[in-house]
Amino acid sequence: VSTIRVALADDDVLLREGLASLLERFGFEVVGQCGSASELIALVRERRPRLAVVDIRMPPTHTTEGLDAAGAIREEFPDVAVLVLSAHVEVEHAMDIIGSGEGTGYLLKSRVTDVDDFIETLKRIVRGASVIDPALVQELVAAQRVDDPLDELTTREREVLALMAEGRSNAGIAKRLWVTEGTAEKHVRSILMKLPLPATEEDHRRVLAVITFLDAR
Amino acid sequence: LSGEELRVGEEHAALRRVATLVARGVPAEEVFAAVTEEVGRLLPVESVAMGRYESDGTMTVVATSGPVGDRFAVGGRWTLGGKNVSTVVAQTGRPARIDSYADASGAVGSAVREEGVGSGVGTPIIVDGRLWGVMTARSGPEQPLPANTQARLANFTELLATAIANAESRAGLARLAAEQAALRRVATLVARGAPPEEVFAAVTEEVGRLLGTHLAGMARYESDDTVTVVATWAAEDDHGDAHPLVPGPWPLEGGDLASTIWRTRRPVRIDDYRGVPGRIAAFVRDELGIGASVGSPIVVEGRLWGALFVHSKRSDQPLPRDTESRLTGFTELVATAIANAEGRAELMASRARIVAAADETRRRIERDLHDGTQQRLVSLGLELRAAQEAVPPQLGELKRELSRVAKGLANVFDELREISHGIHPAILSEGGLEPALRALCRRSAVPVELDLRAERRLPAHVEVAAYYAVSEALTNAAKHAHASVVHVELDTHDAILQFAIRDDGVGGADPGRGSGMVGLSDRIEALGGTLEVTSPTGSGTTLLIEVPVEGQRSAGSPGP
Repeated sequence: VSTIRVALADDDVLLREGLASLLERFGFEVVGQCGSASELIALVRERRPRLAVVDIRMPPTHTTEGLDAAGAIREEFPDVAVLVLSAHVEVEHAMDIIGSGEGTGYLLKSRVTDVDDFIETLKRIVRGASVIDPALVQELVAAQRVDDPLDELTTREREVLALMAEGRSNAGIAKRLWVTEGTAEKHVRSILMKLPLPATEEDHRRVLAVITFLDAR
Repeated sequence: LSGEELRVGEEHAALRRVATLVARGVPAEEVFAAVTEEVGRLLPVESVAMGRYESDGTMTVVATSGPVGDRFAVGGRWTLGGKNVSTVVAQTGRPARIDSYADASGAVGSAVREEGVGSGVGTPIIVDGRLWGVMTARSGPEQPLPANTQARLANFTELLATAIANAESRAGLARLAAEQAALRRVATLVARGAPPEEVFAAVTEEVGRLLGTHLAGMARYESDDTVTVVATWAAEDDHGDAHPLVPGPWPLEGGDLASTIWRTRRPVRIDDYRGVPGRIAAFVRDELGIGASVGSPIVVEGRLWGALFVHSKRSDQPLPRDTESRLTGFTELVATAIANAEGRAELMASRARIVAAADETRRRIERDLHDGTQQRLVSLGLELRAAQEAVPPQLGELKRELSRVAKGLANVFDELREISHGIHPAILSEGGLEPALRALCRRSAVPVELDLRAERRLPAHVEVAAYYAVSEALTNAAKHAHASVVHVELDTHDAILQFAIRDDGVGGADPGRGSGMVGLSDRIEALGGTLEVTSPTGSGTTLLIEVPVEGQRSAGSPGP
């Protein structure tokens, strides 16, 4: 397995160093660190990392610079995977990030301290997965609706739907729920029958479809 | 009956007829005419006249009987002076008699002589101790008047005095009543907090009507030594649109009312516009055709704010002497209205500043939490994980302990995220009202149907107000109304953000109770908006809110 080359962008130096140290301990090669969106784009152009991990809030306005940088990177280098970290998760940001194609992720910043999961998630993103933070998915699934189509689903199917929204593959779902992949597939098919969701093999399209559905239902 | 008895009887009958008229309260002019008529018939005189002394040394003819020349017609005005009955009575306040007009002088004396009068007598008309006028009787040439003529005239002048006193007090009362009614109407407007423009227009019209002038106007002094007309009124028979009204600003440099008041801060009158210098005076005189004017300053809390004017088109007749004092009651009300509006505007601005400061503080706290505390927590979490990895395998318990602490830190991060979101949702600043409200509705305990038609970004203070209004309403719907669904509609119309929040809960919400609702209405009102709560018991609660999008809704801009 070749080493994954990573670029880091966060204006908080302490946190960035901590993250770099973590990634190196787990065999990633941090090819560069920076504290702003423009520096990150230059860094990616120069070092061509496999993955960019970006804080959403950076100078100058401290709002969504990281999001814009992620979009710019995906535009110029579609093969560079991007993970956007944020102190709060918003569905609009999630759509933006996942909408730019496979190999993207959007997580709460605190997830970096859940080390094993975090490293595993980075590897999935690099392999082309699209990952959405479970907190956002929970918020979407838990939203109260009149005549909620989710009422049609069994409890297990709701769990499966949430995992689909988080960007898990059928195999990933099976692993999470301690069931066989066949069982997971059966749940997914049942969900697709009950809800107006397109059947798609592409991870990021499935995530996008589920998130869009959850948000708009 | 003797001739004398007959004469006395007729005189009594005449006096009774006049007294009846006086008692019936007929207009004074009618009494004047009747008295001169009766006197003309009873006394062996050729003609009778009645005059009113004016304050400027003239006398106005108010009634006549018998053959008097055209020049003595009612309404004529005579300058007193010289040797003649009217002047002597005016000077002495006592009856006077002239048996030969050969050496009569003065305007009146010369005119009477030219009429060919033999002798004349006059009796003062004294009303409430004040010399009001004179009644005169004349004989033809070579016909001396009987010696008792003054005495017989005096019987009638006493009745006249009573009639005049009555009429004056009636007219005075009516005038006072009209003035009080006008002042009350304006005061009601002021008390209601009507916009200054409305008060200006009302005052100008009331003053114009009350004082019976052709034109009335109000002007405001500007900080650059000019004056601007803020309201005008023209009498109905005097087409307003025929006047080239020019609001200004006009330079304060002439002898006109506005300039003079500006210099003196006192009421000013112009009885004759001829030769008055300056552009304003020229405009008033030549374009508006004004002959006489009076103006009074409007002083707001010790500062000269503007002036109130009345104008007459008559150049031969100054406005009454009491015009200045009658204007004062109105200028004081205008000053109150302006002071109130300024006070309200200041209060509004102050409330808006307080809300803005509070919003800014919340944004700053959210940012500080994010940039400081939340980042630090993540860094510490990373350090803990590194420490945990460095623990040798034989110290398994310590490793697990560190892991628990790291998980605890992650939970603190989550809690802090919730708190921070409650203080100020970052998405509101980042993405505007729509994503923020959508997120808010997702988190609502009661299902929300959200209908957003305001697509563009709105000023931050409006977005924040709308966000917290919806937030408060959703909390109420869930906590108190036991609603099963809430409809939220937002739209912008004519630079006003309108939103309606309806639930299907138990209703009966009291907007005056519960700090949430009060805080909400405070916030909306601070932005110059309105909040309307409809909450009939058992039929749900509806909040209708309007907030002006562009700055403050005008609370009146009362000028410098």
